[in-house]
Amino acid sequence: METDQHTPDAGTDLPIATTVASAAVAAAVLLPLLWLVRTGLTVGFDEAISLLTRPATVAVFVNSAALVAAVTLASICLGVPLAYLTVRTDLPFSRLFTVAASLPLVIPSYIGAFAFVSAFGPNGAFQRLLAPLGVESLPQIYGFPGAALVLTLYTYPYVYITARASLKSFDTTLVDAARTLRQSRWKTFRRVELPQIRPAVAAGALLVALYTLSDFGTPAIMRFDAFTRVIYVEFNTFGTETATLLSLQLVAVTFLILGLESLIRGEERGGGGGRSRDTVRLGRWRYPAVAFCVAVTTLALVVPLGILLTWFARGASDVGRSLAFRPEYVLNSVGVSAAAAVAATVAALPVAYLAARHRTRLTDLFERATYVGYAVPGVVLGLALVFFGTQYATAVYQTLYLLVFAYVIRFLPQAVGSMRASFLRVDPALPEAARTLGSSPSTAFRRVTLPLVAPGLLGGAALVFLTTMKELPATLLLRPSGFKTLVVHIWSAYESGYFGHAAVPALILLGVSALSMLVIISQEGYNVK
Amino acid sequence: MNDDTWRSVRSRRRFLAAVGAAGIGGLAGCNQGDDGGSGGGTAEETRADTGDGSSGDGTAGGSGEQIGSGRSPFGDRDISGGVSMTELPDLSGELTLYSGRGEALVGELVTYIEELYPDFTVRPRYNSAADLVNQIFTEGSSSPADVFFTVNAGALGALADEGRTGTLPDEVLDMVPDGFHDPDGRWIGTSGRARTIPFNTDALSDSDVPTDVMAFPDTEAFRDDVGWAPTYSSFQAFVTAMRVLEGEEATREWLQGMLDLGVTEYSDEFLVSQAVADGEISAGFANHYYIQRVLTGRPDAPISTAFTDGDAGAIFNVAGACTLDTASDDDLAANFVRHLLSAEAQDYFARTTFEYPLVPGVDPIGRLPSIDELNPPEELDLTQLSDLEGTISLLRDVGVL
Repeated sequence: METDQHTPDAGTDLPIATTVASAAVAAAVLLPLLWLVRTGLTVGFDEAISLLTRPATVAVFVNSAALVAAVTLASICLGVPLAYLTVRTDLPFSRLFTVAASLPLVIPSYIGAFAFVSAFGPNGAFQRLLAPLGVESLPQIYGFPGAALVLTLYTYPYVYITARASLKSFDTTLVDAARTLRQSRWKTFRRVELPQIRPAVAAGALLVALYTLSDFGTPAIMRFDAFTRVIYVEFNTFGTETATLLSLQLVAVTFLILGLESLIRGEERGGGGGRSRDTVRLGRWRYPAVAFCVAVTTLALVVPLGILLTWFARGASDVGRSLAFRPEYVLNSVGVSAAAAVAATVAALPVAYLAARHRTRLTDLFERATYVGYAVPGVVLGLALVFFGTQYATAVYQTLYLLVFAYVIRFLPQAVGSMRASFLRVDPALPEAARTLGSSPSTAFRRVTLPLVAPGLLGGAALVFLTTMKELPATLLLRPSGFKTLVVHIWSAYESGYFGHAAVPALILLGVSALSMLVIISQEGYNVK
Repeated sequence: MNDDTWRSVRSRRRFLAAVGAAGIGGLAGCNQGDDGGSGGGTAEETRADTGDGSSGDGTAGGSGEQIGSGRSPFGDRDISGGVSMTELPDLSGELTLYSGRGEALVGELVTYIEELYPDFTVRPRYNSAADLVNQIFTEGSSSPADVFFTVNAGALGALADEGRTGTLPDEVLDMVPDGFHDPDGRWIGTSGRARTIPFNTDALSDSDVPTDVMAFPDTEAFRDDVGWAPTYSSFQAFVTAMRVLEGEEATREWLQGMLDLGVTEYSDEFLVSQAVADGEISAGFANHYYIQRVLTGRPDAPISTAFTDGDAGAIFNVAGACTLDTASDDDLAANFVRHLLSAEAQDYFARTTFEYPLVPGVDPIGRLPSIDELNPPEELDLTQLSDLEGTISLLRDVGVL
């Protein structure tokens, strides 16, 4: 190859097959955007302008921006330490925390928000518990603090999982080197590890920011006026066109955030191998470390489960056969989620590879395109696919094929982000060496690069898997009639006010997800010792 | 607790037209010509055996029990009025049902109807009403939907306005009083919901709640202590009704007055009712059955129901159904809708969702006055509630949304 492989920025010589594959993926994910533009543009121009420039719209936009900033920052503050503790240190019960810390991702945010209001709201469970101790009132849970807290607790795993994958494929000999130079642990982290995992943290933070931007349930329950509410008011009054136009605005903001992230990304260094020997001894720091992990996972997992279970105990009412649990829901959930994870990983591979190894404007464009489906609210994306399904693909409409396709479009950036960060971490000299030794490019990729990026691949797959487990709006619109997943079942109980009946499926959701995470994590170790 | 509720119902009666509130079983033909106002009369309001508001005695039945003998297949009571499913034409073939009503609430009924006929299959699709309406619009002429079953007249009206509904035959429409179906027969109500004021019985007594909804902004007892759910469709229908009855300006002032009073916003009316029961607020705006659902989960919660008198705060809306223009078999679709109006189905709604049956002769269940004791505004009919757009822009203008 003519190009200098050591600087990933200089990839003028794009591999044809990978580029074509990458372009095809980008085209597929941009498909819904066509419908968005087409539908959004039917709104009268004046109406659109007046809606967008209303003081109230501007105010909620500012609200949303503040929420995005706070949640993103807080997620980094939770996700990075958790990743560091579980990967790099001798944290007790490390495996338990590794799994538990990723599980908040499968809890639907409206369930989390509802639970927090029930627990910590005025006269909530917690308040009643503390009342005998003379506690008259708890700090206000409604509004900005509550919304930020709940969103952080249910989105930090994006940062945690991507940072983890990056730390996993981290070459600790660099740390050893720094340590021999008598650098302190903290200095080493800041000057050696942090720059290395920065692309991964940025990828995770980006997912958090975009999720926060397009989430509706949490701000609504927390009574915080976010931009999405404007969209949902339109949508619920059958104003699909206006809702779509506003979603386009979300897409625009998304590109703004992507631009910002590009700036922060700055210069990304390749390099590093996969040797990971050194483990940080926590010593007496073990206790605060464990306390931290326990606090985060308790707050995010035990609070909602506890609340649902109290509802379960309280409402012994018989709601009949409709809410009877069937084991097939578990199979359905795991089946579609696994299919989505595999499909998204395959689709993300060429995009992430090119974006990391052959960075040009075109490959950047492909990569950025994958974020469109993630940026629009799920219900709008779902409708876009309803349109394409009924107009051009009736054979797959309301089948699992279109459903999995929807998941891939929605969650592709999760796989791309995690994978791209891993590709960046592979020293180009390694596959090159394989080439010099006579391997074909594909063999070199398969036998050298792929094992090195495996943690990133699995991290991405895990993200897609977990988020698909909880996906609701697109599922409701695109599933085959009668097809039910765990989350659809939880939602059925929740929306009818039978909160208690959400407890058992929620427990099963957590259990199944935990098992799946164990499987995924056990794969992580391979080849990276 | 029960007493509080009764007091609420009793005192309300003072405002009811004296006609037949406790009359004896005028089964058919009551309140023709308005949308469910006073007049006529059914049997005494709630029955003792079901009056505890719990569905615990309810849904155990299932399909095994006898049907059409006047005995409810879903629970322990006799149904005196209505038409049994056994008297309706058989259903056969396959039907795709888009249901904006939750599976937890109506799933058992749908399965029951399906299992009644060996050659009949329902493919149900449960989602929120708004999602399904938007989905039907987007699907266009390729929609697989045959019947749409949903939570309020607004969603049905939206489909009707776009010409997406079929026309129901008279034998279906005639099952409910005139006010409960579209005048052109494009949709029909299947059960009713009253607008009510849930209040906390520790904080307020029934007489503290004004009987005139327009007086709420001036009620100091509500300052920083009242809640609403302005994104919720039934609340928006209430505001639409106020615009129709009181005019645009008075409605704007009312909304502004409520904001000035420090009204608290919730994301739906179940949460409003929960908040009232928790004492977080002392009163709110909600459909009547949310209060019953809170009481189902917590029979001793300090919450009760108050009604306003003959104004927008007392409108009576319906959940209902329509056939779609894309229905593959119009007769089957219409006949299915007809089954939703059978005595068994009407009893089911009263039992499971605490709604008001619309077919004369089937009583509501729970701590509720009978349909004839309600006092909705007489000069309003449900089709007048379709101007949602005007309501949304008013709500935005005032700064509620």
